[in-house]
Amino acid sequence: MAMAALRREGRRFATPLISPNPANVFRSSLIPSEEPVLSGVRCISTQVVRNRMKSVKNIQKITKAMKMVAASKLRAIQTRAENSRGLWQPFTALLGDTPSIDVKKNVIVTISADKGLCGGINSTSVKISRAMHKLNSGPDKENKYVVLGEKAKAQLVRDSKKDIELVMTELQKNPLNYTQVSVMADDILKNVEFDALRIVYNKFQSVVSFLPTVSTVLSPEVPKLKDLVVHYVSFYSESGGKLGDLDLYEIEGAETKAEVLQNLTEFQFSCMMYNAVLENATSEQGARMSAMDSSSRNAGDMLDRLTLTYNRTRQASITTELIEIISGASALEG
Amino acid sequence: MASNAAAPFWRSAGMTYITYSNLCANLVRNCLKEPYKSEALTREKVHYTISKWADGKPQKPNQMI
Repeated sequence: MAMAALRREGRRFATPLISPNPANVFRSSLIPSEEPVLSGVRCISTQVVRNRMKSVKNIQKITKAMKMVAASKLRAIQTRAENSRGLWQPFTALLGDTPSIDVKKNVIVTISADKGLCGGINSTSVKISRAMHKLNSGPDKENKYVVLGEKAKAQLVRDSKKDIELVMTELQKNPLNYTQVSVMADDILKNVEFDALRIVYNKFQSVVSFLPTVSTVLSPEVPKLKDLVVHYVSFYSESGGKLGDLDLYEIEGAETKAEVLQNLTEFQFSCMMYNAVLENATSEQGARMSAMDSSSRNAGDMLDRLTLTYNRTRQASITTELIEIISGASALEG
Repeated sequence: MASNAAAPFWRSAGMTYITYSNLCANLVRNCLKEPYKSEALTREKVHYTISKWADGKPQKPNQMI
């Protein structure tokens, strides 16, 4: 009790004694120096630092929680993404991947996340989409964007809103499933005219590395695709493969080869989309996890620094008070 | 995506292969017995918002549920 009373006394006396200038040494790094000192508060104020520490601690809690959530979501979605790779691999084995094909109507399908705070994956896919746009632009060529996700939309609206054809958002309200993605793919096929669809997404490699990837799906009308198929069919039949026996199968509704090819490309597109959406969602969670990890680490560092400043300031004020009391007492005695 | 050959019935009805296969898949799902049936049907929920853009402006968004 007596100590507290003394400290109060000391505070009252010390206020005019300490000039504001040395106080600014402590305060300058924490608050703008022109901020008025609250009445009744000592110049060397620990209040501000304490508030700052509290808010940093809260932010750290939030980022830690977000990291946990991202980690658990990542585990669930990662297996699904890895399993879905089996869907596009046969297509690439059959039709090959032709990212450099030169066609008139290009549609760039940019896949991004709806939410932020996940590192650079959204801007990466936007950057790659812009590069694809530039690469394929030319006289009598058309480039259109189909945008999936809020974040890529926000970035693409700025400079190329004339080229946006379709925007799809709120993909991840329910867990991603094939039906949903295939209905979306269907919407894209119905609403957009294309010769080649280029799907831009972040392929998941590990929690810290994502590969910006472009998958190309060609329209069945593109002659190159027909050539490819003919080439592969002849290749397989020559080497005694199974594909040459396709004519032996009875095909429903007397479909021609062109029909089969069209069905195949439609199905290929929906499979590619499914894989791309899943890969991108996995990358999003991974990126969010590492981003939140580093931000909670940064918050910890900041908290350490603030604690140091706080303690030093407190120590300084205690020392000053002690000196004041002792010198006052010795003056009374002497 | 215009097809010029003699089209199967679902394509002449304006469906793509994806719609057709989805319909078929849904039929198969409906054939499941009860605990599995509702499970499979809730798993395959479709929800997203789509909006067409024309002249740099978004048209009215459509909710797909």
